[in-house]
Amino acid sequence: MKVVGLIIALLAGSLLVYATADFPPLGDPNSPASVHVSPRYIEKTMEETDVPNIVTSVLADYRGYDTMFETTVIFCAGVACFLLLRVYRREEPQERLYRHVLTGVTIHVKAGKLPPSPDFERIDSAWTPHDLIIKTICRLLIPFIQLFALYVIAHGHHSPGGGFQGGVMLGASVIVLAMSQDLRTAVRRLREKADALMCATGVFIYAGTGALCLLLGSNFLDYSALAPVLHVDPIMARSHGIFMVEVGVGVAVMGVMIWIYNNVSSMGKYDEGL
Amino acid sequence: MDIIVTLFLLIGLFFFTGGAVGILRFPDFYSRLHPAGKLDTVGLLSAMIALALFNLHHITLGTVLTSIKILLIVVFVFLASPTATHAIVDAGVRAGLAPWTKGQERR
Repeated sequence: MKVVGLIIALLAGSLLVYATADFPPLGDPNSPASVHVSPRYIEKTMEETDVPNIVTSVLADYRGYDTMFETTVIFCAGVACFLLLRVYRREEPQERLYRHVLTGVTIHVKAGKLPPSPDFERIDSAWTPHDLIIKTICRLLIPFIQLFALYVIAHGHHSPGGGFQGGVMLGASVIVLAMSQDLRTAVRRLREKADALMCATGVFIYAGTGALCLLLGSNFLDYSALAPVLHVDPIMARSHGIFMVEVGVGVAVMGVMIWIYNNVSSMGKYDEGL
Repeated sequence: MDIIVTLFLLIGLFFFTGGAVGILRFPDFYSRLHPAGKLDTVGLLSAMIALALFNLHHITLGTVLTSIKILLIVVFVFLASPTATHAIVDAGVRAGLAPWTKGQERR
């Protein structure tokens, strides 16, 4: 069986290598992409969409379908991680570790019992030390990370950036919180259900923008149809449509990042993680 | 102005080279983290000052803003890099990795 698999893999690989012979050479000015497609975008982007960053306009407007299904693929990755890893076992661990906040004394507490006074905080079983430096620095940095992420999402029209990058930064800020405190603190801030809903909402915003164009009597994801709703001219409406779509991408990517991290780090139990 | 920029860039490059050699040459995990943490202080500071000065070829609001943004990178790296080094060393100690002592072979 292994030999058959190897032969199939080798055949498929050699076919792919054979197919690359038909590609135009790298940077060939006479290749079809450089003759028709690229000059069209470079010349017309500004007058058609009013977006200075050509990459953003190609990504979210000219090839909107592609990006929509990229977002859906990310959403599917999050759902797959959830379905594979999440366990709803109710069995509790034999004993838990609690630490006295002021003195740092750590005690074991049997399952079903409570610590002797409210001055104790639950810690992970990996004996995480009370690390003031890391907690303080992360608390200091997280708001700036999130602010910069919002800037990256909103500024995708003019500079490198956009929904994917900004969404990853927003997700990373919550992951930094989970790593510097513990997983329970981060989950308390952003519940599992809210997180899952956020992933779906992001994809819904993207597809919903497209469907809104359809309802207003134009093609799917043709943002110029949004002009009467947004009270701008059709070219500016395409620019605003790109922004709406980027927001959807950002929300979806942020939710999926956090969802995958929570599931992987706690092995689906949402109890103890990094 | 160009001379000052080049001088700062050379200082930065010198420290980055020294740090890179240190990462390769030091004998164990903890001592390798030492140059890795040091790189981000003087090396990055002087390289970023050079870039910020180079950007100020004529002083307008736009170039000043860009220079301030470049210097903000230094602020954030100065906060984040020592914290990361601290966390890595902490994790190494808790995982039970003993520091290298003289006479042992390098790891």
